[in-house]
Amino acid sequence: MVTVTASTPAIEVTNLRKTYNRAFRKTGNIALRGMDLSVPRGSAFGLIGPNGAGKTTFIKSILGIVQPTEGTVRVLGGSPEDARIRARIGYLPERLHLPGSWTPTAFLATVGRLKGLPPDAAGHLSLLERVGLADAVGRKIGGYSKGMRQRLGLAAALIGKPELLVLDEPTDGIDPMGRMEVRRILQEEVRRGTTLFLNSHLLAETERVCDRVAILADGRVVREGKLEDLVRGESRWVARFAPGVSVDALGSAGFVPARADGVFHVEAPDATALNAALDRARAAGALLVELRRDGMDLEAVLLGTVSAQAMRAAEVAA
Amino acid sequence: MSPVLGIAGYVLREAASRKFIMAFMVGLTLVLAVVALGMRIDVIDGALAASRLFGQEVRATIQSVDVALRPVYQASAFIVFYGGILFGIVACSDFAPSLMSPGRIEHLLALPIQRWHLLAGTFLGVMTLALGGTLYGTTGLVLIFGVKTGYWTVGPLVAGLMACVGFAAVYAVMLTMATLVRSAALCAAAGFAVLVGGIIAGHRQDIAKAFEEGVSRSLFQAVTLVLPRLSALAEAAGDMAASLPLEVRSLGTLLVGVFVFGLGALVVGFWRFEGKDY
Repeated sequence: MVTVTASTPAIEVTNLRKTYNRAFRKTGNIALRGMDLSVPRGSAFGLIGPNGAGKTTFIKSILGIVQPTEGTVRVLGGSPEDARIRARIGYLPERLHLPGSWTPTAFLATVGRLKGLPPDAAGHLSLLERVGLADAVGRKIGGYSKGMRQRLGLAAALIGKPELLVLDEPTDGIDPMGRMEVRRILQEEVRRGTTLFLNSHLLAETERVCDRVAILADGRVVREGKLEDLVRGESRWVARFAPGVSVDALGSAGFVPARADGVFHVEAPDATALNAALDRARAAGALLVELRRDGMDLEAVLLGTVSAQAMRAAEVAA
Repeated sequence: MSPVLGIAGYVLREAASRKFIMAFMVGLTLVLAVVALGMRIDVIDGALAASRLFGQEVRATIQSVDVALRPVYQASAFIVFYGGILFGIVACSDFAPSLMSPGRIEHLLALPIQRWHLLAGTFLGVMTLALGGTLYGTTGLVLIFGVKTGYWTVGPLVAGLMACVGFAAVYAVMLTMATLVRSAALCAAAGFAVLVGGIIAGHRQDIAKAFEEGVSRSLFQAVTLVLPRLSALAEAAGDMAASLPLEVRSLGTLLVGVFVFGLGALVVGFWRFEGKDY
């Protein structure tokens, strides 16, 4: 009997390693090199990283599709090998292959049956409406566009109101309006209490939907935390001064002009250094009208983190 | 509902959408319709007096109906056996590779079903398809000749069931091949290899004499020993269909041998599938 409490993470992996062994080769392909990650319940968690970082292998590991070489995987308080645990998960694979000759309702009915749920034709129609396929209910899946197939895959993942949604590139092939709809659905699910685990190359999408993000590089989690903490600049500030300020005077006070008029950047690792810089600016006659931490977007965070990781790896190798 | 039945239903729904399977069923129906509508059989006091196909006399000799129908049923049994297995190999070769294709297998494995459910369901679905097709054809034939001649026999039905047993052994190997390589062509090749091997195994005693005594003959006998004796099963099916005494020494042993071979192949497939990453 698995005891599940609200504090139990939705996903918890410890020292997860996965090596794909190849026939006739002494060494296999290492996909995960000791990954530790905890995804809190009810969170919208994004996994980002470069190609080949191990994201898809990780997702397959938490669903029992690939078996870890080493380490432990706990999902919703149990093992992903347990069918009762998987019954509480909704999954949309990266390249969902759908039976082209079927209708969407027949497909959803089959998925529902295989999930052990009672027949619910009305519920399936409502799901199709929710994902924006109400007009295509009578058509065969083979005639669907890529975006429509993704929407149907999302509907299949939502069957049975899962506690954990694992979505691999859910908005792939969906037009901008459709992405907004999908985002709205995902946000509704998170509000309902569902834990969302999202893998997307569209970082803006991750940024809009997720509240926590992990960066995976070379089979390891190299950074993880709240989105607001990750995108926040550590020591770089943006200051805007009233018009008429002397650029040279502010430059000698440590302020670097930005592209916009009156806007400057300053490096200050702590409050003392920041106030000292501001005092120097004011002493030079500058009047401060706005001050904020210089934020980064997720793309910059990813690039910075992955570059730093690569440099560290190169140093270790040297 | 059992997940095995769910997967079997999945396979059958896929099969229903295949045009060549539908074409096969339509073709079979047409053949039965032609036999039913085009053949006229005159029976007098249990003896076949005359038979005409589209007005042309087919047989003039007067003989009892059961004797007259023996070659028809025997030929039908061989056609059902070998033709059915050949068609099954071609028609069903891509069911398992298709279920295991990227994007579909991940989705299925993430559902709350056990891995063995997936293979067992695929096997059950394909065998349901084979059994349905066989019973449709053989029952149709028995009904047509039964109504026309008044001679009723379950021989062709039993022969059809034996053909399904033979196909089960062949498909077990094809399914196991799919767990090793996701290729419809290789699955079909494995099926053909078992069919050919099974035909040779059925005549192993006669063929062994063609080998020189020693290693080569022992090797041939060892290899053919583990193969299902499909040609012997086909001959037994032909005899059953024609209500003739069986030429094989023990039908039970023959069936057990085919069953054990199929089960062994399936066990290998299940073991491989359980430990495979997708």
